[in-house]
Amino acid sequence: MRALRRFLHRLAATAMGHRDEERLRDEVEEHLALQTSENLRAGLSPVEARRQAALKFGAVETMKESYRDQRGLPFIETLARDTRHALRGLRNAPVFTITAILTLALGIGATTAIFTLAHAVLLKSLPVSNPSQLYRLGANPRCCMQSRFSQNKEFSIVSYELYKHFRDNTNGFEELAAFQAGQTLLGVRRAQGSSAAESYLGEFVSGNYFAMFGVSAYAGRALTTADDRPGAPLTAVMSYRLWQQKYGLDLSVIGGEFNVNQIPFTIIGVAPPGFYGDTLRNTPPEFFLPLAAAPLVQNKPLVLQEASTHWLDLIGRVRSDAAPASIQTQMQVELQQWLRSHIGDMSANDRAVLSQQTLYLRPGGAGITTMRTQYERWLEILMMVSGFILLIVCANVANLMLVRGTERRRQTSLSMALGARPARLVRQALTESLVLSLLGGAAGVAVAFAGTRLILHFAFQSAAASPISASPSPPILLFALAISLFTGIIFGIAPAWMTMRADPIEALRGVDRSTRQAGSLPRKTLVILQAAFSLVLLTASGLLTESLRNLQNQDFGFEQNGRMVVKVDPALAGYKARQLEGLYGRVHDSLASIPGVSSVAWCLYSPLSGDNWGGDIFLEGRPAPGPMDDNEAWFDWASAGYFDTVGHPIVKGRPISEQDIATSRNVALISETFARKFFKGEDPIGKRFGTTAKAAGKYEVVGVAKDARYLTRNLQQPLDAFVILAESPSVSMRDIVVRMQPGAKLSEAQVRYTLAGIDPDLPIVRMQSLSEQVAGNFNQPRLIAQLTSLFGILALVLASIGIYGVTAYNAGSRTNEIGVRMALGADRGDILALILRGALILISFGLLLGVPLTLATARFLGSQLYGIKQYDPMILGAAILTLGSSALIAALIPALRASSILPLQALRAD
Amino acid sequence: LAISPALLLSQMNCAILSVGNQQGGCMKEKTDVRQGTLALMALKTLDVLGPLHGYGIARRIEQISGDLLAVNQGTLYPVLLKLEQEGAIASEWGASENNRKARFYRLTREGRKQLQAETRDWEQTAAIINRFFRAKAEDLR
Repeated sequence: MRALRRFLHRLAATAMGHRDEERLRDEVEEHLALQTSENLRAGLSPVEARRQAALKFGAVETMKESYRDQRGLPFIETLARDTRHALRGLRNAPVFTITAILTLALGIGATTAIFTLAHAVLLKSLPVSNPSQLYRLGANPRCCMQSRFSQNKEFSIVSYELYKHFRDNTNGFEELAAFQAGQTLLGVRRAQGSSAAESYLGEFVSGNYFAMFGVSAYAGRALTTADDRPGAPLTAVMSYRLWQQKYGLDLSVIGGEFNVNQIPFTIIGVAPPGFYGDTLRNTPPEFFLPLAAAPLVQNKPLVLQEASTHWLDLIGRVRSDAAPASIQTQMQVELQQWLRSHIGDMSANDRAVLSQQTLYLRPGGAGITTMRTQYERWLEILMMVSGFILLIVCANVANLMLVRGTERRRQTSLSMALGARPARLVRQALTESLVLSLLGGAAGVAVAFAGTRLILHFAFQSAAASPISASPSPPILLFALAISLFTGIIFGIAPAWMTMRADPIEALRGVDRSTRQAGSLPRKTLVILQAAFSLVLLTASGLLTESLRNLQNQDFGFEQNGRMVVKVDPALAGYKARQLEGLYGRVHDSLASIPGVSSVAWCLYSPLSGDNWGGDIFLEGRPAPGPMDDNEAWFDWASAGYFDTVGHPIVKGRPISEQDIATSRNVALISETFARKFFKGEDPIGKRFGTTAKAAGKYEVVGVAKDARYLTRNLQQPLDAFVILAESPSVSMRDIVVRMQPGAKLSEAQVRYTLAGIDPDLPIVRMQSLSEQVAGNFNQPRLIAQLTSLFGILALVLASIGIYGVTAYNAGSRTNEIGVRMALGADRGDILALILRGALILISFGLLLGVPLTLATARFLGSQLYGIKQYDPMILGAAILTLGSSALIAALIPALRASSILPLQALRAD
Repeated sequence: LAISPALLLSQMNCAILSVGNQQGGCMKEKTDVRQGTLALMALKTLDVLGPLHGYGIARRIEQISGDLLAVNQGTLYPVLLKLEQEGAIASEWGASENNRKARFYRLTREGRKQLQAETRDWEQTAAIINRFFRAKAEDLR
């Protein structure tokens, strides 16, 4: 209590400044006067009386100092004084200050920008109440639908029946909600008004979804269990973003009628502004619909009844008195019970692995972490790269500070000679570093803000919809502050240490004629580190750029040029299976009649469009594969003329013909990989296969198509077995590929007009050229490669400046020595060699240190590289050569200058 | 004050050394003791004599401790400031005996409490040390 009171007094005194210095002076004066008069009374002479009084009082200044220390808070006062001193010093050296702040801003900004992304993607929780109470089913996210009674590794998505089984039997949850794993494209039109239908993403959620998250509607009301009953009036919740952007916060939307895939729905409310559902993604759902509406909207009448159709993710709020581990055990038992109750419906393979089926319950505060899984590696690479940049920046600024410290050696020595304590000088030097790094950090936050926006823009074209915000939030600012303090200390330690080691006599003696530079060791070390880090970044950027080039220039197996892809979804306009063939034909004919169009074809998924469909293959006349056998393949459906239109060559056999479609013949074209995987050297033409053991003879292989890259799920890996089936009424195709004549252009307006002529309710989801569609898949690797290259060049420049600085400084301080050497007969070559030797040693050490570091980094990159070995000697060699030559040039400039000096001039210098 | 002069001196040695010479070896460790002792003396002086200016307190301490305590009078002022900050004493301007402006210090209620507590502490410490010395002597015999 007393200590606190005293502290407050001192704080107040610190804030108020030195106003009561006066009081002390008066008191001392009075004290001396009283003592003097006492001494006079004792019989001393006036002069002696005064002298004795002063003697008795002791040293006034020492007392005053101790009094001041007692009065205020010397720590804060010293800090303020040092800060003022540092600011004054920095103002007097504007070039140094600006260079240092800009360099720091770059390093801190880059690190903070990457941290902003990493924070949003890897660390942030969902914007719901008490996210720490949430637990989700599944260790890893899985998309989007599985139709069997076994799941690989873990049971992570469930059917509606299994959800109800868990919900009704597990008592550890306050609330257990289910929602679609993935999203559904919806064709939405407001019932009143004549606007055309537009496509939006929606998600089916259980009635207790909002209650489980503890999220209430922003306007209107949220979905409840009453809305999620069979036969309940059809209702939906709209996202705030759509309500704001499309409907201008119009309150009449709430309670308004909307047609979703031609089915009337009532919008009952709007979700709160920050809420983006259960999954962080760049396309959050615009509509939340009850599960009960799924059969109708998706046109899958049995989706809620089929016990083996798993399409739901689960997140539950755990009771405060329940342990997640015991809930998991309980759910594992429930899963086994449920599976056993369906033992009669299972295939033999499912039965064989029944006892191995298990599940995991994981903290679900961050929701379904698809994005985390997808971007984790990239973000790690970026964090590593920005970390190296920060280190290089630290080394660079430390170097600048060292030069500054050397220039100020005389001043420091003078201070020490006058009695300044070393600790005090070190503190002053560190304060200057921290002031500098905090200024750099403030500028860095601005750089980070702009950088994050830029990265978001390039990473996700539709950044507007992305729930990742670029604006700095408290954790980001805190991070920037911490990083600034950290860098300030890192680059401030060396100069401060040098200050402490300064020998006053040495410096005050004046001209320093020694050939060896005291204190240049830290500078050299820093340059070596810089060179090593630069080598790492240069090699990394080389590897990533080369890998990107390989990715983009690989043989995709189809033609990219002169092709447009128009994505529509007939289901959104309410087309039923039997109406599809007519639509396909009408669209084909109208588009084909546009001048410049050479051919048109339909398919479910055009190459590298992002979607994919996987399933099992059963060969006719062969035993069914065992539970551990890999019989997976990937599927697409296409109309006649597709292979020609998309430029996908056929190696053997024939393409899908008009006649196949007309006679509903189930023909299939398999990829070369498919042929190798399933037919192993036999001639596949005429062979039959199916997707279930019962229907193993459904599809007939009529041709083998060249291996082509259709799937985006594993761009870096070898191709999977792939099969393209002839169109079937059971699959509603969505992509229209339009092949143009050379030089001809197809405008979106033309396509819109043509399609509106066929059906105004058929929305165009997306339209782009096939090459744009392909390139879109490489946005992230491209961004990473570009950022790394940018950082690599930056590192190279900084390292070269470092080498230049050290060499120039060495050459400059050896001017006298050079003069002596030249006078004794050394020629220009000798001097050049003398100066260059020092620089070359530094570079060699840098490379020596850099190579193992680079190899370690390459190992880290390994899995992200395509078509290139992680230890590519060419790229490492090129990086070494680039670094070596630019460092050599940086060293050559001061060396040449030193060697061209006249001996007489050199001897006279300084 | 029933304090053994030897004990007081051993602590005061430091005070004498440390004033004006910042490099005294024992300065750091015993500052508190010195300040505490001086503070206690100042408090007691104010308790006995009532409101008094700095010089008066210094004189009084000198008179009582005699030649044994040769402390620089100036060191009293930081101690008075600390006591004031802690709320043990309060000060105001007044007129001194030769009619000059002087700062008068007086004990507050809190200061009185503090004085009592610290007096108790001191007496206890002194009693323990005394007893300890005596016990040692008996053991030797």
